[in-house]
Amino acid sequence: MTERVRRRSSPLALAVLGVALSATVVPLLYLFSVSLMGRGETVSGVLWTTDPQWANWGDVLGSNIPRSILNSLLAALGGAAVTLVLALPGAWAVARYRTGGRTLGATLMSPWLLPPIVAVVPLLTLLRILHLNNSLVGLTLVYALANLPVAVWLLEGFVRRLPSELEEAARIDGASEFRTLAAVIAPLLAPSLVAIGIIVAILNYNEFLLATFLTQSADTQTFPVALSLFYGDRTPHFGKIAAAAFIGVIPVFASAVFFQRWLVGGLTQGAVR
Amino acid sequence: MADAALVRPRRPSGHRRREAWAHRLFVSPIVLAIVVLGVYPLLFILAAAFSDSSLGKPFREWVGTSNFETILADADVVASFWRTVAYAVAVSFVSVVAGVLVAVALERATHAGSVVRTVLLLPLITPPVVVGTLWKLVFNPGGGLLDTLLQGTGADAASVAPLSSTVWALPAIGLADVWQWTPLVALLVYAALLTQDPAVREAAALDGAHGLRLFGHITWPAIAATVAAVFFIRLVIALKVFDLPFIMTSGGPGQASTTTSYLIYQVALKEFDIGRASAITLVFAVVVTAVSLPVAAITRRLAHD
Repeated sequence: MTERVRRRSSPLALAVLGVALSATVVPLLYLFSVSLMGRGETVSGVLWTTDPQWANWGDVLGSNIPRSILNSLLAALGGAAVTLVLALPGAWAVARYRTGGRTLGATLMSPWLLPPIVAVVPLLTLLRILHLNNSLVGLTLVYALANLPVAVWLLEGFVRRLPSELEEAARIDGASEFRTLAAVIAPLLAPSLVAIGIIVAILNYNEFLLATFLTQSADTQTFPVALSLFYGDRTPHFGKIAAAAFIGVIPVFASAVFFQRWLVGGLTQGAVR
Repeated sequence: MADAALVRPRRPSGHRRREAWAHRLFVSPIVLAIVVLGVYPLLFILAAAFSDSSLGKPFREWVGTSNFETILADADVVASFWRTVAYAVAVSFVSVVAGVLVAVALERATHAGSVVRTVLLLPLITPPVVVGTLWKLVFNPGGGLLDTLLQGTGADAASVAPLSSTVWALPAIGLADVWQWTPLVALLVYAALLTQDPAVREAAALDGAHGLRLFGHITWPAIAATVAAVFFIRLVIALKVFDLPFIMTSGGPGQASTTTSYLIYQVALKEFDIGRASAITLVFAVVVTAVSLPVAAITRRLAHD
């Protein structure tokens, strides 16, 4: 009975994947194609320009888009870092010691159920009182708190799967709760923390609604906000809009390709065990 | 974990108390997050809904239920609720079906490597503002991808402009929405499929179960709870949709693609009427709860089976 049935890919499965792959890739390639088109070509019905215009890319790189991408990266990474630092102890206490009990567990994800538009006006008022409105620091703090429940929720599952023997050993050695957390738990959870950090950073980078209201001046605008303002002209230049959109996606796509092992692995691995 | 508590050696109670305080300290940022992003906005909105409030000067005067009377008598507001709920149910259904198909195909296609998985995830991590831009370009009348392809088939001489059609604007936004979020469904269901014991499937296959029978008796029971949970998540995301109507149609033409989130944005930040916007928000919260509770209940029942 050691012989296993060798599985072969079914033709139907390959067909479904083929359709899914083209449905995913074609629109993205079209965006790239339009980004190289001159003004006339975008309305002439050509799918691929014979005379690529890198001028659109040059114009976008000379605009405030690079600055906005930098702003987005700062808020996304800063927010994710703070989220992780706060989420790890929280998730540990909730998963191992049921700190906060059923109430905390039940209310944890409740803010997520409401449209974020609900929080915009109250947050704007709060940040104005703290003199943090229209600043990247304010936006970063809002992102850090906004994703904390999601990060704790994801992390809880990983904490539960850790064997508790190592913590016990540390405790018997007389380590404090802080030491146990920093020296035992954090290293064990490092791969999960990376995966969750990437997810949270991408969520931050892509966030639009809060950023529109919390960063209004040109030097604090994030990328989604700057891109949305590209439609301001009465006759928008589609080539330039596409170039801006494409350039802004590069950091996220690059990190996804670079971190794909952690991103997919981190989410699916937990389930495999 | 109960067993952890049992294993732990006896300690002086002072130590125990210090540990408990450390744990409370650890969860305090979570409590802060819930207060700042949940409790405080909710109280703010409750107070604003029952008062005459503008963006600059909130809570000017207590007006009782008049904001609620105004919005419930406003056909545009009520229509936005129905529109949003219909939209959310439709896009959730389509992306869950498509996502399950892709997940099952991924698991059955043994040659699909990490490159395929990464490419399939790209829409999920594309900023919604870019997704909106992308599909706006695809739907661009006279030169967009859709128009060019349709002209190529010679089916219709007139150019197609779904985003300026009162009938097609919302389905067009829905297509962009499905494109963006189907990968999330596929990812979560795929993860659930990987937890299956392959031996069970192989045994069933040896007994002659194939295709639909295999799916119905072996695969579906293994993923049903996950699919229900994913449908719930997908529904909540779709009920909140804002970025896509904002970028693609600005809620138009007319009110054809004004979702409730977009309507709240218009009332609060274009008309500066925080009182009315808050009242819409509260009523919408009731609508969201009414729509998502049954799904949450089914999810819970399946998870406990």
